Amino acid sequence: MRETLRRLLRQRKAAVGGTLLLGFLLVALVGPWFVMDPTELMGQPHQPPSSAHWFGTTGQGQDVLAQTVVGARETLAIGFAVGALVTLVGALVGITAGYLGRRVDDALTLTTNIFLVIPGLPLAIVLGAYLPSGPFRMVVVLTFAGWAWNARVFRAEALALRGRDFVAAAVVAGESHARIITRELLPNMASLVASSFIGNTLYAVGAQVGLEFLGLGDVGAVTWGTNLYWAGNDAALLTRSWWIFVPTGICIALVGFSLTLLSSAIDELTNPSLRAPPKAPKAAVVHAVATPAQEATAPGALLSVRELSIEYMTQAGPSRVVDQVSLDIAPGEVFGLAGESGSGKSTLGYALLRLLPSSAAITQGRILFEGTDVTALSPEALRAFRWSRVSMVFQSAMSALNPVLTLGEQFHDTLAAHGGGSRASSYARGRELLAMVGLKPELVDAWPHQLSGGMRQRVGIALALALEPRLVVMDEPTTALDVVVQKELLQRVLELKSRLGFAVLFITHDLPLLLALSDRVGILQAGKLVEVDTAQRLRTDARHPYTRLLLSSFPHLGATDTQAPTPDVLEQAASALKAPLAALPGGRR
Amino acid sequence: MRYVLRRLGFYLLAAWASLTMNFVIPRLAPGDPATAMFARFEGRISPEALVALKTAFGFTDAPWHVQYFTYLKHLVTGDMGLSYAYYPSPVTEVIGTGLLWTLGLAGCAVIISFAVGTMLGVLAAWNRGGWLDSALAPALAFLGAFPYFWLAMLALYLFGFGLGWFPLRHAYSHDVEPGATLTFIADVGRHAVLPATSIVVATLGGWMLSMRNTMVAVLGTDTLRLAHAKGLPPRQVMLRYAARNALLPNVTGFGMALGFVLSGSLLTEIVFSYPGTGYLLILAVRNQDYPLMQGLFLVITLAVLAANFAVDLLCLWLDPRTRAHA
Repeated sequence: MRETLRRLLRQRKAAVGGTLLLGFLLVALVGPWFVMDPTELMGQPHQPPSSAHWFGTTGQGQDVLAQTVVGARETLAIGFAVGALVTLVGALVGITAGYLGRRVDDALTLTTNIFLVIPGLPLAIVLGAYLPSGPFRMVVVLTFAGWAWNARVFRAEALALRGRDFVAAAVVAGESHARIITRELLPNMASLVASSFIGNTLYAVGAQVGLEFLGLGDVGAVTWGTNLYWAGNDAALLTRSWWIFVPTGICIALVGFSLTLLSSAIDELTNPSLRAPPKAPKAAVVHAVATPAQEATAPGALLSVRELSIEYMTQAGPSRVVDQVSLDIAPGEVFGLAGESGSGKSTLGYALLRLLPSSAAITQGRILFEGTDVTALSPEALRAFRWSRVSMVFQSAMSALNPVLTLGEQFHDTLAAHGGGSRASSYARGRELLAMVGLKPELVDAWPHQLSGGMRQRVGIALALALEPRLVVMDEPTTALDVVVQKELLQRVLELKSRLGFAVLFITHDLPLLLALSDRVGILQAGKLVEVDTAQRLRTDARHPYTRLLLSSFPHLGATDTQAPTPDVLEQAASALKAPLAALPGGRR
Repeated sequence: MRYVLRRLGFYLLAAWASLTMNFVIPRLAPGDPATAMFARFEGRISPEALVALKTAFGFTDAPWHVQYFTYLKHLVTGDMGLSYAYYPSPVTEVIGTGLLWTLGLAGCAVIISFAVGTMLGVLAAWNRGGWLDSALAPALAFLGAFPYFWLAMLALYLFGFGLGWFPLRHAYSHDVEPGATLTFIADVGRHAVLPATSIVVATLGGWMLSMRNTMVAVLGTDTLRLAHAKGLPPRQVMLRYAARNALLPNVTGFGMALGFVLSGSLLTEIVFSYPGTGYLLILAVRNQDYPLMQGLFLVITLAVLAANFAVDLLCLWLDPRTRAHA
């Protein structure tokens, strides 16, 4: 908790937002003692700023500075009170619904959704019109009109937490519902509570100012909203008295902006992908000056990787993930690359197509493909090179297909990007490719979500062969599949390979599988290629101790571990919007 | 189809809930608001008319369920009682034209704002760290922190009163004959520029930021990596792969934010004395015109529900997965 707070304070957004907000709180607390009486008629009406009245006077001759400062007090007090109350009600309803589930959940969720679609302002007005005037009315009305969004967010969080082990353990231990909610669920929602409270306060200030501007506040009180109400009534615009409404508006915006900054800082803390990525490290060696070792390519090699190093920029500084790796792949060869997760094997695979994330870069070495230096290709040349010469099957090919395009469209855009013909010819080629991997050709009109995981992986392979590349990089293409499907699929790949003659770079942590599949195998440990040999020899007399360790850690051939399928891009997009939804214009309500 | 019917059922339920709230709130409120409400009519209309009005509203001595059905019956026939501020016009008539102006102004502004903001969000995420991302996004976020109606006041002050570029109030000039003429349309357009622009400016940053954030998430997925690997042209990757996938949750968010954005634009109307429902709302509040207030609540709510249903249909069209289940 303390660590979280410390990290929060280190962020610039949080620091600026927090300072601004504290400043306003201070003004609201002690400011009123230092200014004039905001309701007293102190001078001539509509006077511009002067030494007597720094912010000028209102249409009735009150001091604008005094009104702005005193207005902060009730505005912020109501804002924070409503913010807390809305968070409380929302959390209570949402957690109850998410935790108890079934009928309770159905009923509460329905109620929540209904309140979500009913526009807040008219509802607040109808309710407010019948309640006696005063700050209490404002709090009740704003809470009533605004709790639903929070209930929704908290329900989703409670649902997610309910499935976790520690909650299940508490249930088994026979703890009461109330205790589980307060002891197990709530402490795990600390950051959600914080960001909700900030978002709700933002809503409360905005909605309160709006209602008061309409005249639904206590028009005798001094708040920012009533200041603007009177500015409108006293013809501030008609008399060109900008000073009557400008200071209050800027104060509202600054408070709103500080709250937005704080909530965005919390979002970035819980969702690091929103933060700006670190810049990629610079290449240490200029490409033109290649060492002799980098020049020497094996004769007849399809692919020659020479002294390749790849670095990631992390918060702790650059970290070398691939360290001076050299390897050759011959035409039609199956080259296996084995290593634990984090050994850099996937990074190496991506580098062959220059598909590294923006925080990573090739800092040294060359990748020569049929004599072309891939590391030196221009963007347009690289685009043409990708897929037509080297293609790739992803570990998550099942979630890598574009969910909003039919398979045919995804074949078509691939073919069209490389000078392919009409849509009709692309679809025909798609059907042919699907049949080649053992799928029904009619599936060309299907959407990805209509296929099973194994089928999608086959589509991934069909797609990879669309342009008849010379090399196909396969990054754990079967890890997410069950053993039977995996075996079938690999059989198919080997068949196609012997028919079409492409080479394969097969990447997996599953060494026994690689030994059964590959002509030659390379062992990667912490970014270094520690051993390369034929599968035959590695199986019987591996020289490097790490290879022997890897071999012994697999009890029998064909051992696999299956992973849960990754969510597709639409699901990932939707989950990205969960927290920042508060930043929508709706966040202000 | 089943999905569409389920959504439709939900909105009907929501409509019923708001009708019922409209019935319950005046009856649960402390004091005797019903009497207060009708006391305002006394002296203006005959006692017989008052009794008729009370009956129309269901405020009788009958048991509550009888009152409730009377109330529902009147609503079904489009009878929401008489407006006090516009006495003796029926509420339905007063709201009718106002709703058209609101839908025209807020509808256009919200759609323009969403379209432009979404496009800016796409570009900001695509050129992450560029000037759109690092300068325009925070600037728009700051503008978004101002109340809509305050931005409207400032715009009116600067470009209406100060520079005199745009008309100061109303939806069209009183010397222009309303009709399907070019002069009238141009006049309406000139009157809509300032209110619409202030709504757009106030909301643009929100749409941009949320689209940017979903885009950033989408850009890190394997779908995008595959698109790059396939050697697709960058524009195609940005639009057909990244933006197209990031759009869906934003359209859903758009539906959810509609009611709030509409509330903000209602306040904007007041600044410009724009004859929409927002302006009627303030008249209703200031004159304590309860029938008009309740009628506005119902009509605005129904409009938002209808818009939400339209957004659901749009999502259905955008998302092949729900389309298949529908």
